Amino acid sequence: MSAYPEVVAKIASDYLERVKSQLRLVPAHEQVEFLREIESHLYESYQQMPGEDDVARILAVLRKFGEPAEVVSDRLPGAMVRSGTRRNLPLYVVGGILIALFGLPLGSAGVGVLVGLLAALAGILVAYYAVAGSFLLVGAVTMLLGLIRIILPQLFDRLVALGYIQLGGPVGEFLDHFSPGYQGILIILFASLFAGAGWGMLWVGKYMLRGLRFLFSLTFDWMRRFAQGARRKLRRGNREAPQLGKASFVKQ
Amino acid sequence: MEYSDEGRDRRITQLRKGILELAVMGVLYDERHYGYSLVRVLSESGSISLKEGTIYPILARLDRDGLVRSEWVESDQGPPRKYYALTSSGRQLFDALSQELDVLVSLVQQKWKAPEQSARAGKKLVVRKG
Repeated sequence: MSAYPEVVAKIASDYLERVKSQLRLVPAHEQVEFLREIESHLYESYQQMPGEDDVARILAVLRKFGEPAEVVSDRLPGAMVRSGTRRNLPLYVVGGILIALFGLPLGSAGVGVLVGLLAALAGILVAYYAVAGSFLLVGAVTMLLGLIRIILPQLFDRLVALGYIQLGGPVGEFLDHFSPGYQGILIILFASLFAGAGWGMLWVGKYMLRGLRFLFSLTFDWMRRFAQGARRKLRRGNREAPQLGKASFVKQ
Repeated sequence: MEYSDEGRDRRITQLRKGILELAVMGVLYDERHYGYSLVRVLSESGSISLKEGTIYPILARLDRDGLVRSEWVESDQGPPRKYYALTSSGRQLFDALSQELDVLVSLVQQKWKAPEQSARAGKKLVVRKG
């Protein structure tokens, strides 16, 4: 059997390490198999590569093979690749709830707990958006009241008299120091604070949503891979694979 | 204004990548191959120049979708090789995809012919899709 010179083995090992470092999220047994396959390819490609200079040959092989990121792109969980794209979150939420409900009875306690956590996170997100929506609604309604106070002060007084608007206590006393027009402006300014807070929460929530979507994708991707692995094992049985040797082809 | 060489190259690469999966299935249709031999066949049989490592994500995807089966085989020339062969569902899919490709290719080629012929080709595609 032909063999790698030591320096070539070192370069190949470094390359495989770079590939491996990009496969952190891939199950260990898949990593080993994938790296073995690449190692086999590099070895054969090196043997076929013409030239006298060993280093130049292996570098040419690696150049032809491509960057590790390109090679592992499809081995990463889909979530890593798709995190920038829009996903159908409601379906994930429904899927999460279903698995949370049925995961435990099926014995998949870990999955149930994991999905339960994600469901809790989703619940927090829903509550967050509800608060943001409330702020916006309060801001809009209060702004409308401020406009009414400026444009139709009589209508405002009537609404107060009827009890639809309650401005008692220190707030009412404070506003009484101003004319209806100024009162309207103060009410609008106050409303703007609420509307601004609601708007800000929506803006921040966009990033929270993106993060949660990423978490969901990652989890479901992991579950899908786990299920596929289990199916494969059932179908083919365990295949024994020797561990990847860093310099398994070093010339003796 | 002429389209940039860079843009053209990028589109050519996209086109090749799109077709590569089908080409891989075609090579594995009747004969099993391991990654390196597959790359050799692909690069010898046509102008698909590719980074060799890109074949593995494709094989992984096909494997994951049950379109190929794989097995490790010891080699007397070096480390063991992982051989791939198309499964029956892979063959069925390849047949369907290559028929679809024929339609698309004929549609593209119709571009240089008379307008009424192009329209016919377009209709044919729609009917097949529908």
